[in-house]
Amino acid sequence: MSGHHISSAKFLWGVAISLFMLTFLTIFVTWVHIPEPWNVVVAIGIAVVKATIVAAFFMNLYWDSKFNVMLFIMSIIFFLLFIGVTLLDTLYRTDPIPSF
Amino acid sequence: MATNEATPSVKKLQVRRFKPEENPKKHYLNEETGIWAWMTTVDHKKIGLMYLASITFFFFIGGVLALLLRTELLSPARSFMDANVYNQVFTLHGAIMIFFFLIPSVPAALGNFVLPLQLGAKDVAFPRLNLASYYIYVIGALFTIFAIFTGGVDTGWTFYTPYSTTTSGNVMAMTFGVFILGFSSILTGLNFIVTIHKLRSPGLTWNKLPLNLWGLYATSLIQILATPVLAITLLLLTMERALGIGIFDPAIGGDPVLYQHFFWFYSHPAVYIMIVPGFGIISEVISTFSRKVIFGYWAIALSSLAIAFIGFLVWGHHMFTAGQSSLANMVFSFLTFLVGIPTGIKIFNWIATMYRGSIDLKAPMIYALVFLFLFTIGGFTGIMLGALAVDIHLHDTYYVVAHFHYVMMGGMVMAFLAGLHYWWPKMFGKMYSEFWARISCALIFVGFNMTFLPQFVMGAQGMPRRYFNYIDQFQPFHQFSTMGAYVMGVGFLIMAGYLLHSMLKGKAAGSNPWGSRALEWQTSSPVPLHNFEHTPVIINGPYDYHKPMSEFQLGIATPHHDHHDDHQPTDVTQTEKEQA
Amino acid sequence: MSQPSALEEKLDHLQHHFIDSDQQFEASKLGMWIFLVTEILFFGGLFTAYIVYRSWYPELYLLASAELDTFWGAVNTFVLIGSSLTVAMAIRSAQLNQIKGLIINLWITIGLAGVFMVIKFFEYTHKFEKGIFPGSHYSYEGIAHEKANIFFSIYYMMTGLHGVHVMIGIGLMIWLVIKAKKKVFHSGYYTPVEITGLYWHLVDIIWIFLFPLLYLID
Repeated sequence: MSGHHISSAKFLWGVAISLFMLTFLTIFVTWVHIPEPWNVVVAIGIAVVKATIVAAFFMNLYWDSKFNVMLFIMSIIFFLLFIGVTLLDTLYRTDPIPSF
Repeated sequence: MATNEATPSVKKLQVRRFKPEENPKKHYLNEETGIWAWMTTVDHKKIGLMYLASITFFFFIGGVLALLLRTELLSPARSFMDANVYNQVFTLHGAIMIFFFLIPSVPAALGNFVLPLQLGAKDVAFPRLNLASYYIYVIGALFTIFAIFTGGVDTGWTFYTPYSTTTSGNVMAMTFGVFILGFSSILTGLNFIVTIHKLRSPGLTWNKLPLNLWGLYATSLIQILATPVLAITLLLLTMERALGIGIFDPAIGGDPVLYQHFFWFYSHPAVYIMIVPGFGIISEVISTFSRKVIFGYWAIALSSLAIAFIGFLVWGHHMFTAGQSSLANMVFSFLTFLVGIPTGIKIFNWIATMYRGSIDLKAPMIYALVFLFLFTIGGFTGIMLGALAVDIHLHDTYYVVAHFHYVMMGGMVMAFLAGLHYWWPKMFGKMYSEFWARISCALIFVGFNMTFLPQFVMGAQGMPRRYFNYIDQFQPFHQFSTMGAYVMGVGFLIMAGYLLHSMLKGKAAGSNPWGSRALEWQTSSPVPLHNFEHTPVIINGPYDYHKPMSEFQLGIATPHHDHHDDHQPTDVTQTEKEQA
Repeated sequence: MSQPSALEEKLDHLQHHFIDSDQQFEASKLGMWIFLVTEILFFGGLFTAYIVYRSWYPELYLLASAELDTFWGAVNTFVLIGSSLTVAMAIRSAQLNQIKGLIINLWITIGLAGVFMVIKFFEYTHKFEKGIFPGSHYSYEGIAHEKANIFFSIYYMMTGLHGVHVMIGIGLMIWLVIKAKKKVFHSGYYTPVEITGLYWHLVDIIWIFLFPLLYLID
């Protein structure tokens, strides 16, 4: 069939090894004290890199139709909208002081 | 007959005209017969009809429940229902009407039928998934019915916590039923998106796509993005009841407003799932019965997508009085005003389409005009509710009830009826009585306004919604409203009558009784089993009434390779080899 | 025609409403990506609950996360990444018409997924012994926070739902093995393997986020 990307075994192993290394990094980073909130940012950042590698090179989005890439990114965007706008409520509530 | 040019990007096709057969002997209704054939069919048209039968059934049940409510409300305090029975009845009315009638109505019933036809495809992308989608709907419905008979649910269709986590009654069965139903909605949306992307006929570029399909496309996008959040909400609610998870119940450490965020993140876009397909139908009907090209094609197409997107950002307007932060309140109110703009654009474009058109006042068109009038009222009052300070006064009153009935019933149901009356001849090959259709429409229109117009006034005067009892000043309003409900009921009964008569003894419709240019009308009525005997080739837009009908019936012979015939594979290998 | 030709056999999978195998394959892939979108939003709800409660009670998360065994969480991460590798190798085998390789790689993936579930099982039972149950059955005294039950409710919901998805993946892959043994797949048709692989990678991606968010809070 035309247009079906076939990755070499070496390439796939390379992707896996890079993911293993990033996993080690995820753990090592927790041994270094990083002030709030940056420690969360770093952890999520590494996770995002790992997820992108899986999506691009295991799920073949790198060689796939742009629409599939857009679908994936859109779902993330809508998730971020959900959490972002919800936080506009949950982070900004001030407890009313009873007047009695 | 297909010839290949040397240049890789341009492929020339030798087309000829394929006139649809009038009064076909064999069509999709008589080619596969018997109960088993229907129950195992993967034909999108039959699946669409099965959905149509189911949603009609649930509309009837939901309608009866509404009449029960309105009859109880003829006088304050108890007439014939206890208060907790009343609570169960309005919960059921809402849940059934929304989840089992409105959400599937246009996409699953009419959409399933029409979408492949409008694309020139032989079926949707995943026909077996389509059938599965229907059975999932049925199973969800059975769970809900089971819930009714094993304790009932009295929380309102919104299942707000902490009441829903602590009340007796079979909340879990109903939420589980709706959870299952969500999958049906998701799979239909999935099927439609893939079909529209992958199974378009040659020449059917995005700028020639019928607006009905733009509407279904936008709806499908909402379905796949929003419904999963409903699923997780209901799952969490079920776990809260079963295990006491504690995310939503303040007594065990949770936040009830968080539940509302979760619930409305789906349920607001859900109202767009309900209405956007209706917008698509109105575009088709108004253009056909004005005999004119649609005004502002791209404005209408893109506004569907804009509504889909902005619709995801306004859910907090259901929660203005719930205890949200002021910041969130203001943001949601502002965004709510924004979402009215693309809808307004559509209304103006439809009116501009009618201007200087050749208006044919057949039943579908009358319903479309009714839609324009009633939906505009509904839309306006929605914007009024979106004004933060106004909503503080109007929230949880009959004003809200009137608003959403104007948009859902005055808008969506009217659009659905327009679509039903429009595509009826295509589905059954029969016409219905235009006279009785108008009588029914008039009764429904008058009855509807009698029922819901007073509710705006009542609500503004303070009558709360979901209340079983009320003070005397509201009684005349309630009584007038109930009379209207019965008038509407009669209108629907008449509709059932003439439509049934049409199915059994109606006059034969031609392939194109309305003279439309759209692709579904270029094949016979009723439709052949595989939709088209050829592969349609599109050269014009779907609303180009200034072009002759013959230009809409062009096509090439299909390399047919289904299981019946023996000598197909050669054609297919030709196509496969062309790619290599 | 009495005997179907080799080419006709190869096109057995082609459904009548598609023009050719490529269109059918691309359509199936698009369909699976759309389904993955729904899965992302589905889990997204749980991540939202997590984020909201972490923003309200950051000290709770710090305390409670100490109860989760980082070592086994890390092992599970490696296991799942490994299983993503092997499922990608399985697809590669199918693309190269190496059906034996396809079946072996599928079995290894299933095996790794099984290891994941076994480790999860021991994690859960270890917690149950201490009284860390979901929801109202929570009875552990060891965390000095009144909302401790909420953290673990979220923990059990997220990892539990993820575990259900792992089990569904195992089921799907067993089905693929059965079909592969019946010679259904070849280099011209391996769509179910491809789309199951896509599903499995998403299950991996979700765990890639769950691991730091649940186990590595400090």
